[in-house]
Amino acid sequence: MPDKNMRFLVVDDFSTMRRIVRNLLKELGFTNVDEAEDGQVALHKLKTQPYDFVVSDWNMPNMTGIELLKAIRADAQFKGLPFLMITAEAKRENIIEAAMAGASGYIVKPFTAATLEEKMNKIFQSLNK
Amino acid sequence: MPDHILENGDSPELEDLFDSIAHQVQAESAPVAGVASSDAPIIEESIRPVPPELIDPAVMYDQIGQLTRKLHDAMQSMGYDKSLETIAEAIPDAKDRLGYIATLTESAAKRVLDATDIAKPIQDHLESRAAELNQRWNLVFDNKLSVGDFKQLAEDTRNYLGGVPDQTQATSTQLLEIVMAQDFQDLTGQVIKKMMDMFKGIEHELVSFLIAYSPTMKKVELDTGLLNGPVVNPEGRSDVVTSQQQVDDLLESLGF
Repeated sequence: MPDKNMRFLVVDDFSTMRRIVRNLLKELGFTNVDEAEDGQVALHKLKTQPYDFVVSDWNMPNMTGIELLKAIRADAQFKGLPFLMITAEAKRENIIEAAMAGASGYIVKPFTAATLEEKMNKIFQSLNK
Repeated sequence: MPDHILENGDSPELEDLFDSIAHQVQAESAPVAGVASSDAPIIEESIRPVPPELIDPAVMYDQIGQLTRKLHDAMQSMGYDKSLETIAEAIPDAKDRLGYIATLTESAAKRVLDATDIAKPIQDHLESRAAELNQRWNLVFDNKLSVGDFKQLAEDTRNYLGGVPDQTQATSTQLLEIVMAQDFQDLTGQVIKKMMDMFKGIEHELVSFLIAYSPTMKKVELDTGLLNGPVVNPEGRSDVVTSQQQVDDLLESLGF
């Protein structure tokens, strides 16, 4: 049973999208949500404050989601940090790249609260193994 | 939640693909020293003018041809050649981006209107029932209601209050649907961004060409800063903004 107080970092350069994800997380009972508008800002926040889960878009200026993911996975400070990659296109090469970079899971836009919950639960389950 | 008009393409097969690779990656993982970025760093192009003796019309013609082809392909990929009205099926075809925008905004509007159509009667009903009960309670406080009617009113009121949460939750669901319908902004915004980046890229190449092949006497007038070329920025980073002014100045100085 995931801790409803866990701290999320939502990373996306579109504020509308960040707001939507925040609303969806709230719908699922998670109200401790912080935001970042690109990978660089996200990485800075991650290094200075504790977070339990990252939900990140792929295409962003300054540092993409994939670059952020790789930076996280390369840093022992963030070992085991769950990272859900949001991708706009369900193409094989995107899925493969996300998996190889170490994403904990992926979700294709546009998505519903139900899908988000499903994908997150999948990650929680594998964390508990 | 009603059927979203757009399929996002996720599938069990893709999930399996992800899972199999992710497991492999986890099995062999040790933190990799340093970040391996697959994206090339931003290269500031320095455009070297072509010496007059090496200017070959055939080469110039070829370059212009290639640029025209790029522009043409870019416009096609944006769906410029397709009529915006011929969207019968709402299938996000990669080649019909502009049509995609029209479809998304239309379906978003529809979702919102549908949601309000559902929520409004609920609100109205809640309100009219409350008004009716209130009227009867006013009679109570005016001492105009019999005991029997009062008991009935108490029961009716209790039933009403018991039913309110269901009604308000139904309305909340519609409100959430309205929030979700705003997701088109993200996707249309991305398409527009891609378009702008493509145009900027092509403009940059045309400017480079003009600098490279500009007549000798014009070269000395060019700002040396500009000869280093604007920064190529496919990811849309903010320092491209200053180069727009430089491009204006350059085109003017070359007589265009």
